[in-house]
This record gives sequence, structure tokens and C-alpha cells, in this order.
Amino acid sequence: MSRVTDYAAVQPAPTLADRAKFLAFLLIAAAFLGWSANALELSPGELIHSMPVIGRYLARMFPPDWSALQGLWDPTVDTICIALWGTVIASIIGLPLGILAAKNMNSPAVVRLTSLTILNVLRSISELIWAIFFVAAVGLGPFPGALALGVNFGGILGRLYAEAIENVDQKPLEALRATGANHLQTIMFAVLPQVLPQIVSYNLYWFEVGVRSATVLGMIGAGGIGFELVTTIRLYDFRQTSAILIVILLLVTVIDRVSAILRRAIVK
Amino acid sequence: MNMNVEIDHRATKATAPELNAGPVVSIVNIGKTYARGNLVALSDVSFDVGRGEFIVILGPSGAGKSTLLRCINRLAEPTKGRIYLNGKEITDRRRELRDARRQIGMVFQQFNLVTRLSVLLNVLSGRLSYRPTWRSFFYSFTREDRAIALECLEMVGLGHKVFQRADTLSGGEQQRVAIARALAQRPNVILADEPVASLDPKIARQVLKYLKEISQRLGISVICNLHQVDFAREYAERIVGLCQGQKIFDGPPSELTDDILNKIYGMRAEADGD
Repeated sequence: MSRVTDYAAVQPAPTLADRAKFLAFLLIAAAFLGWSANALELSPGELIHSMPVIGRYLARMFPPDWSALQGLWDPTVDTICIALWGTVIASIIGLPLGILAAKNMNSPAVVRLTSLTILNVLRSISELIWAIFFVAAVGLGPFPGALALGVNFGGILGRLYAEAIENVDQKPLEALRATGANHLQTIMFAVLPQVLPQIVSYNLYWFEVGVRSATVLGMIGAGGIGFELVTTIRLYDFRQTSAILIVILLLVTVIDRVSAILRRAIVK
Repeated sequence: MNMNVEIDHRATKATAPELNAGPVVSIVNIGKTYARGNLVALSDVSFDVGRGEFIVILGPSGAGKSTLLRCINRLAEPTKGRIYLNGKEITDRRRELRDARRQIGMVFQQFNLVTRLSVLLNVLSGRLSYRPTWRSFFYSFTREDRAIALECLEMVGLGHKVFQRADTLSGGEQQRVAIARALAQRPNVILADEPVASLDPKIARQVLKYLKEISQRLGISVICNLHQVDFAREYAERIVGLCQGQKIFDGPPSELTDDILNKIYGMRAEADGD
């Protein structure tokens, strides 16, 4: 039995039916795109027509009014803290659920499916919706923002953790089971050490995403720099808006860089 | 085929042993059939293991050696037969199985260490079954555990590599760490599943020497799967020959004639020819 290397010999030439199927697929895709453009009232003409208006708004943003930086320090720190605590809450939610949801952890089917469902719900409701809910529940400020990020990212991280756990080398797990170690001990000593680099890397990445997300959350009253941003827009003070946007840009860039460096250092 | 049936009868004399007298491990009519494809991995294998005995299970790959070992500590569930440890039957009831597994160390072909952890933590994980679960959340061990782990590492000559990460060690060293982990359980018996198959001959001899020493000095019985005849002859006190899931030899290396070897290895050639 020799290994097959000549792929052309293995893969049959497309039949007429194959070609017809592909053509049908293209037509359906094109029809769908056309229909959805119509639903959107997509109109390139309108866009070109309104260019001057967009230009006028942009012009009103210059030069940036740096007086906006006054009092911006605290909201900026708030934003970072929202992202930080959001990620912490997310890991606290995600780790147990991720372990229960991982196929190779042999949870009872009911438990596994329940965990998967919870993760799905947390993940598929956007952090903005969660934020509206938590602002209503606990009031304005950074705290509901952190909760919203924590819950939504918990769903995402839980799913990622579960996938990481599913890819773990099973042999050490078996060795620990053979010593008489119980399930939790096996997880602590054979599973977590294997997935820790990935967990740290995911957390750093979602902290980055969290910083960007937290600026948006501010706009609906969940504290942070986004709240300041939206205030300047409401006051039509676009020169202050641009100053704040530049700060956000710098903030996100710095966080991205730092976290990229940390991740590279950790994943070894 | 009819030949081994005859020898098999001699083996079935193994009966349930009296409490604490007699063999450390008693294997009685163990069989395993895989549901899918009706594959018979083991059929009616029986033998006793004495205290401190060094037994080599010899056979070609696919003979059922691995399945046999894994049935002993129930990493694989036998479909037939019983296993006794110090006269007490090993069942699949969780608490009892944990107690049994604690007394059975296991060494694997691929070492199966947690490579990102230190040598010490790998050996300490042999102590987990003695300690409450909450401790493992803090990776905390008692002074006694640490002393035992260090002593076991000294025994395999790795006292100087305690704090190194396991993946910085060579294959032979990793297997010795795995042996230390098994020793840290303070076991009655060590199961070694092809412990030297991934090592070169010189290192293999070293690892087998450690296992042999353990059986002689500490009175821990060792059941060791091997496929190499020369290693089996060199180290075994007793050889159990396995072929196609059946025991076709059980005796000292001196009785392992070429004729019997042909039966152990030859039958497979026949089967492969089919």
C-alpha cells in the first residue's frame, strides 16, 4: 500500500452536474445580495450626493480642541478598568462552563448541553444589549459596563476555553487517573497546565477587544471615555470630539501593542 | 490454536485468593471483546503475581498486552473475568477503584508526564489520591508528600533535576520521572506498558534496571509489557507469553524455548498472511 501523492489522479474531473450546481449557487448568491441591497435602500448615488455634507462635518472637527483632555483622565482609566474587570468576570464565568462543555471532560450529557446553551446565550446577546439591561438594573456608571462585558465575553471565552481543552494531550490525564486522582485533581494537574498559555493569550486578546468595546459602552451610559465622546457630539462640539477620538486611537494602539508583546512572551 | 487451549487449562487453576495471603494481583479469566467489529482483544487470561515479582508480558504488538494491563487498573473495562488486588476484587465502584488505583502505579510508553510542569510537581501528582481535593486547587502538598517525592526522585537518580520543567529532560529521564511518580504512590504493584519502546537500547536497559531494582529492593511487583525477546530474557523472573489475546506461555525465561517463541510470534505471521 503506497501513499498516494498524485492528487490529480485521485480527484475526479468536475462533472456536468457539479458545474451546474456551482452555477446555481452563484445565481442564488447574486439574487440574495441584490434583494438585500434593495432592502437596505443601498444607493451609491445618495452617498456621492452627500459627500459635501460629510466633508463639512469632518471640517468642523479640525483642529482638535485639546481642552477636551481636561478631566478626560478619569474616564480613560474607567474604560481600562471596565475592560479589565470585564475580562476577569468573563474568565470566572467562562472557565467552569468551558470545562463542563468540553467533550473530552466526560461531563454528563445534560450538564454539557446546559453549559453549551448558557455559553451560547451569553455569547449571542451583544454586550450592548447586556449593558442596557445592567444599566437599568444597577444604574449608570462603569460597573454595569464591566458586568455587560463580563457576561458577553464569558460566553465567548467559555467556548474558546472548551475548544482549547478539547485539544489537550489526553495521555497525561490518563496517567493521573491511573494514580487514583479524582476528576478535579486531574483537571488541576493535567488539564489546566496544558491550556494555561492559551487561556492567558485569549484573555489578553479579549481585554484588548474589551477596551474598544468599553468606549462604545460609555455611549449608552455605562461610564468611561465613550460617555465623554457622546457628550461632545450631542453638544455639536466636534473639535472636542476629534480630540477624544485621537485619545481613543492612542489608547487602543498602546493596549494592542502591550498585549501583543505580553502574548508573545507567554505563549512559549 | 488447539495447543494453547491445552496450556490455558493449566492457568485456570488460579482461583480467588484468601485475604492478604498469596498473590498481590490475581488475574482470573480476564477477557475483553470490543463491541465494534467483535474484536477479541483478550480471551480468558489468568495468572497470579507474587510479591516483588518481576513479570514480563511478552508478545507481538496487537497481542493484547496493553489491554491486559489496562484491565488491571480498569483504564479499560474487561468484558469478562475478575481482578483481585491483595485478595480484594477491583470493581468499577468509584471510591473503591480510587483506593485500588492508588496502590497500582503505572508507567507508559510515552511517559505521559505533564510536560509544562516541573519534575517535582509531576512526581507529587502521584500523591494526589492521598489528599483532599481542595489542596489541589492551590497546588499545595504536605511536607510528608514533598519528602516522599524527593526520595522517589533520588531513587531514580534525578534528585538534581527537581525544579526543571519536565519537557527539558531527555526521554530516558522523563521515563524515570514517570517511574518516580508511580513510586510516590507507595504502590504494591507497578504496571509498565512498553516502558522502553520509545527509547534507544542503552537507555532502555537503564530504565529496565531501575524497574528491576524497585521490585527487588522495595518488594513492589512489576508487570512489564515488552515486545523485545532479549530484554525479556535479560530482566524477567517470569515471562507470560501472549498471542492474539491468549496466554500461551507462563514460566521462567529458561523455559522460553525457540519453539515457544515461534508460537508467540509465529502465529501472528500466520494470521497476517490470511
